Amino acid sequence: MQAPPARHAPPLDRPGASDDAELGVENLTVRFQGLAAIDDVSLKMQRHEIFGLIGPNGAGKTTLVNCLTGFQKPTEGRVMMAGRDITGWAPTEFRRHGIARTFQAGRLFPEMSVLENAEVTGVGLGQSRRTAQAEAKELLDWIGLGDKLDVPASALAYTDQRRLGIARAMMLSPAFVLLDEPAAGMSDSECEDLMEIVQAIPKAFICGVLLIEHNMRVVMGICDRIHVLDGGKTLAEDVPEAIQRHEAVMAAYLGMEA
Amino acid sequence: MDRILSNIRTLQTPVLLIVLLAIVSGLASLTGSDAMATTIAEMMIRVVVVVGLYVFIGNSGIISFGHISFMCIGAYAAAWMTAAPTFKQIMLGGLPAWLQTEQYPFLVAMAFAAVLPAIVGLALGGAITRLGGIACSIATFAFLMITNSVYANWDSVTAGVSSIIGIPTLVGPWVAWVFAGVAILAAWFYQISRHGLMLRATRDDPVAAQASGINLVKARLGAFVLSAALVGLGGGLYAQFLGILTVDPFYLGLTFITLAMLVVGGMSSLTGAVIGVIGVTIIVELLRMFERGSMGPITLPPGSQELGLGILMALILVLRPTGLSGGRELKLFGRSRPAAPAAPEAAQAAPAE
Ligand SMILES: Nc1ncnc2c1ncn2[C@@H]1O[C@H](COP(=O)(O)OP(=O)(O)OP(=O)(O)O)[C@@H](O)[C@H]1O
Ligand SMILES: [Mg+2]
Repeated sequence: MQAPPARHAPPLDRPGASDDAELGVENLTVRFQGLAAIDDVSLKMQRHEIFGLIGPNGAGKTTLVNCLTGFQKPTEGRVMMAGRDITGWAPTEFRRHGIARTFQAGRLFPEMSVLENAEVTGVGLGQSRRTAQAEAKELLDWIGLGDKLDVPASALAYTDQRRLGIARAMMLSPAFVLLDEPAAGMSDSECEDLMEIVQAIPKAFICGVLLIEHNMRVVMGICDRIHVLDGGKTLAEDVPEAIQRHEAVMAAYLGMEA
Repeated sequence: MDRILSNIRTLQTPVLLIVLLAIVSGLASLTGSDAMATTIAEMMIRVVVVVGLYVFIGNSGIISFGHISFMCIGAYAAAWMTAAPTFKQIMLGGLPAWLQTEQYPFLVAMAFAAVLPAIVGLALGGAITRLGGIACSIATFAFLMITNSVYANWDSVTAGVSSIIGIPTLVGPWVAWVFAGVAILAAWFYQISRHGLMLRATRDDPVAAQASGINLVKARLGAFVLSAALVGLGGGLYAQFLGILTVDPFYLGLTFITLAMLVVGGMSSLTGAVIGVIGVTIIVELLRMFERGSMGPITLPPGSQELGLGILMALILVLRPTGLSGGRELKLFGRSRPAAPAAPEAAQAAPAE
């Protein structure tokens, strides 16, 4: 893997600009037709850490990420960044203020090239095509897609599609990036390669990472802290060593994996 | 040197398309018949209209059934500017004095024919581009019906069901060709601009586009207004080609044939829009000749034209959904990237996953 691009110059008017800014939710509840997908959850992540979000299928992980990026309006509770209430912002506003994400289903722009897929985020955030292209090329080199710039995104191998999703999110150095199962469906070695990239993000970009991932070895290996959801409720939040010893977590989740 | 090369590479597609139109027009005019000149002029005007349609439909992926309304608005705008003042004072008493008593030059009329639909497009687009997808398409259809009934009944400015006459007929094949060239260049520069790129992202995946900071409404609205202006310009040309204007042509028939052109050519490339017009024009003309019995022993019954076109469109949709162009742009050198088949996940509906 190449050295990550050393560029970190977020605009100063960004609420997430200061290096110790926090992103989180307070007493968040999301109900779909009366059923609570998220039930009174509070959490807070920092800009220098990898924050793991785990839980069985249907636990509400994606819904929480949707709330943290403006794609889902909370039924109750607040979304906060750097002490500011940002509940109700549109997804584009979240992105403009440095909160980026990837999608569990990939959601690349299939008819556009690899380069355009990354470039368009820069353009969407106000860069000219030329400037965005230059930055996109740098990022794509770093993530290992530098030789596939003109390939249509839909023609990429699966693992490359996931990488492109991350590159697209990392345009203009966001303050936080939320990765929704970036390694789903990958083999162990492919997953390890990808996690090397994820692990480099906080230092290279001064960017907090929220990581949803089912592979426990990976999660325990690279996360600074882990938040466990089950049935929309918080089960535990702690450092990996403590989570591994947590009985309720083991019963609800890890036991199932074994 | 690099700079020049890259400019040539960037501009080759529109230039090639404009040259292609000139060649088709030149070949056809070798026959020297008036009927052929009429057909060619009409084809060039349709290039303006279909390229205008393409700017919105091709880049946004949202079908509009209402754009022929902009053609209608543009045609009447040009007629108001250029019809004989004596006629306007008698028949179009509802027009403001500056239109009623004056006769403006051709280019001024064409500018008005583009600007008025653009203004209407801005007002309408502001409302309906929020809808997106099928709801937006249905709203455009409602707009087509509304415009048609307003223009058919607003006697004091449109002469209602009777016609506006005395419009100078200044548009022939080559004048129309020049405007086709203008439309092609405008569409191309839009397509390669940052706005075109953002709109294509919303077409591929509106949810992911928002995660890239793209405002769906703004991205769509810009294309909608440009597209209204180009289609309106086509209308203005049409008025000054016919010399006489009624609302009748600006309805379902023309909506169908222009959309058919876009589908047959392939609606995800500018090249598709242009060769769709050429291809469909040729087929329609051939069928017409068969209908008239001027093709020797075989005579087709009247109505074969519409039927033939319907069958052609269905065949294209089934056998080659990306149209004759296959979503590619015409290029002599440099890569011509095929439009990839849409990935299944792009088809998923709204909620972010
Ligand atoms: N838009 C929606 N409408 C109705 N119910 C929804 C919606 N989105 C999610 N849900 C429900 O909310 C619950 C949580 O879903 P969510 O996708 O957040 O889980 P997850 O933890 O991401 O699961 P997975 O590991 O399968 O991705 C599920 O029961 C799901 O069916
Ligand atoms: Mg999920």
